Amino acid sequence: MASTNIKILVCVKEVPQPEAPIGIDPSAGWVQIERSTSYRINRFDGFAVEEALLIKEAFPDTTVDFITVGPDRSAMILKRALGMGGDQGIHIVTDGEGYLSPFVTAHWIALYARGKTYDLILTGVMSEDYMQGQVGPTIAEFLSLPCATATIFERLSPGEGEVYVAREIEGGFRDTLVLRLPVVLTVQSGINRPRYPSLSNMLRAKRQQMKTIAAKSLKQTDPRQGVIGIAYPSKLRSGQVLIGTQEEKARELLKILSEKSLVQ
Amino acid sequence: MAQSIIIIAEHFEGELRPVTYELVGFALELQKFCPAKIKMLILGDDVAGLAQDAATHTGLDVVAVIVPALTTYNLEVYKGILSERLPDLDPVYICMAHTTQGADLAPPLAVRIKAACITGVVQVSGEKDRVSFARDMYAGKVVATFESTSERRILTLQPGSLPSPVFDHPAPVAVETWTATYLAKQSMSRGIKPPKETNAALTEAEVVVSAGKGVGKKENLQIIDNLSRLWPGSAVGGSRPVCDSGWLEYRQQVGTTGATVAPKLYVACGISGASQHIAGMRGSGFIVAINRDSGAAIFNVADVCVVEDLITFIPCLIEEHRKQSI
Ligand SMILES: Cc1cc2nc3c(=O)[nH]c(=O)nc-3n(C[C@H](O)[C@H](O)[C@H](O)COP(=O)(O)OP(=O)(O)OC[C@H]3O[C@@H](n4cnc5c(N)ncnc54)[C@H](O)[C@@H]3O)c2cc1C
Ligand SMILES: Nc1ncnc2c1ncn2[C@@H]1O[C@H](COP(=O)(O)O)[C@@H](O)[C@H]1O
Repeated sequence: MASTNIKILVCVKEVPQPEAPIGIDPSAGWVQIERSTSYRINRFDGFAVEEALLIKEAFPDTTVDFITVGPDRSAMILKRALGMGGDQGIHIVTDGEGYLSPFVTAHWIALYARGKTYDLILTGVMSEDYMQGQVGPTIAEFLSLPCATATIFERLSPGEGEVYVAREIEGGFRDTLVLRLPVVLTVQSGINRPRYPSLSNMLRAKRQQMKTIAAKSLKQTDPRQGVIGIAYPSKLRSGQVLIGTQEEKARELLKILSEKSLVQ
Repeated sequence: MAQSIIIIAEHFEGELRPVTYELVGFALELQKFCPAKIKMLILGDDVAGLAQDAATHTGLDVVAVIVPALTTYNLEVYKGILSERLPDLDPVYICMAHTTQGADLAPPLAVRIKAACITGVVQVSGEKDRVSFARDMYAGKVVATFESTSERRILTLQPGSLPSPVFDHPAPVAVETWTATYLAKQSMSRGIKPPKETNAALTEAEVVVSAGKGVGKKENLQIIDNLSRLWPGSAVGGSRPVCDSGWLEYRQQVGTTGATVAPKLYVACGISGASQHIAGMRGSGFIVAINRDSGAAIFNVADVCVVEDLITFIPCLIEEHRKQSI
């Protein structure tokens, strides 16, 4: 790869905003989320989008595409990503709200990406709702590409067909390696500071920049695993809930702490 | 051929990581549902001693997989060797830690060997032929039970979820040694770099007051600072996103990729309670959580739960304390 004509695909996912109540539907064995809940782009994916846009700034011939697998509603986060910059949004539209195995999501994204000569596929390190950290590395293996997870630094050398990567590992250490392009990287938070979408970009994120594919129309695959039930976690400590007005709660908290000699 | 439950050991700087022993506990749990033999594999260029230690300590079958020149974990090499060797062992379960190594290796290995892959498992339950795995979802607000009908399953265990078993004078076992080579073609390891900063102030403090993304903006960190002044010698910590935003320094981060703290008192302000954060503070003596979402997972590890907006509650708490001190 001699030219600096770089093609990047960034995987983005919608997640319910963090304070949304997560209900349980026992008959479905799955979560129940109120219709009024607002959704936003997975926080970790914001770092992947920003990293792609920084590469585009460094290498102006770069194209950046965004892809999401999700219900109709998730078109919104493609628009948001396009609002930050980038060229095209691809929406693989699913029916319903049930759990999607990472093998299924990764299979569809890999089907789309296959043959499109992306040099770099970026994902977040994990989704805030499913918390699996699987979709990125699974896409890589479906496409037989090298992969690095928890990327906290990358330096692309398109001329050499390589990328230098630092992965953040436990205890603040960094595992560094050089990978042959094309690669899949999962991006750890803190690698950059994601920009805000701009109004002009948001307006530009029009229909023609959006490609829609029905998941039904794609080849299906074995999900390998599924969710059979959902429960609220059990409390690991007493978890005394304070009641009353703010002042009453404050006084009660000070009383508890002083009984335990934890405050003067 | 007999089925097996495989443990992939984790080691760093010449020592087994403690989570490897938690994996032994995990494998023993799985064995209750599946009468397969447990085998631990340790990969690296110089792991004979580690393998001997692990075997002596646990009494399990341990294999030292000697891979010349493999000084640190490398995905391509691990994946290459394991996908070649594992099928011969007929593994029903392959257990790894949900660390940056396990999370890197498990999904692609699962694709290679046609296994299911369930990450961040905290608990195993069920009965014969119907085993299920619990893991957190939605920032720890709910726990989901997963099942797989695949014949092979790779599971990554959330560190700290299971105690390491106590091994009483295990019978001596012989360590097996295999030699394997794998030439990495797509990735070259360039070494491990040590952290730049120390976090002694945080790990040694008796009281840690921590800020989460719920503080809303950098200016509001002042509220957390003011609260920390109630305790001389306390330290201010924070969740990862707070450090990512530059509101606090990285050396103030608490969690799996930050500091592990165990102060007498930990006050979590506007922190949701994702497992990566909890792993860094669950050993604290007394935990107070302030969060305006009554469903936040942090409340499950708290001794006292304050469901309030921190922006107004903390000044009120400081004011009540002031009144009582005069
Ligand atoms: C490999 C890996 C390693 C990681 N390592 C770490 C780590 O070491 N440490 C770490 O912390 N995280 C780590 N994370 C990130 C972790 O998964 C969570 O994303 C993070 O802990 C969430 O931080 P938070 O609770 O501050 O933010 P959020 O999840 O956004 O939660 C904010 C909370 O504030 C509450 N809130 C909002 N406004 C107010 C208000 N006015 N008053 C009161 N409450 C309010 C909300 O209800 C919510 O519960 C890691 C993730 C990965 C994938
Ligand atoms: N439905 C999806 N559509 C697009 N990208 C996804 C989807 N699910 C997961 N991803 C990507 O994969 C990453 C890891 O997700 P997960 O494996 O669910 O933790 C996310 O940060 C996204 O970048």
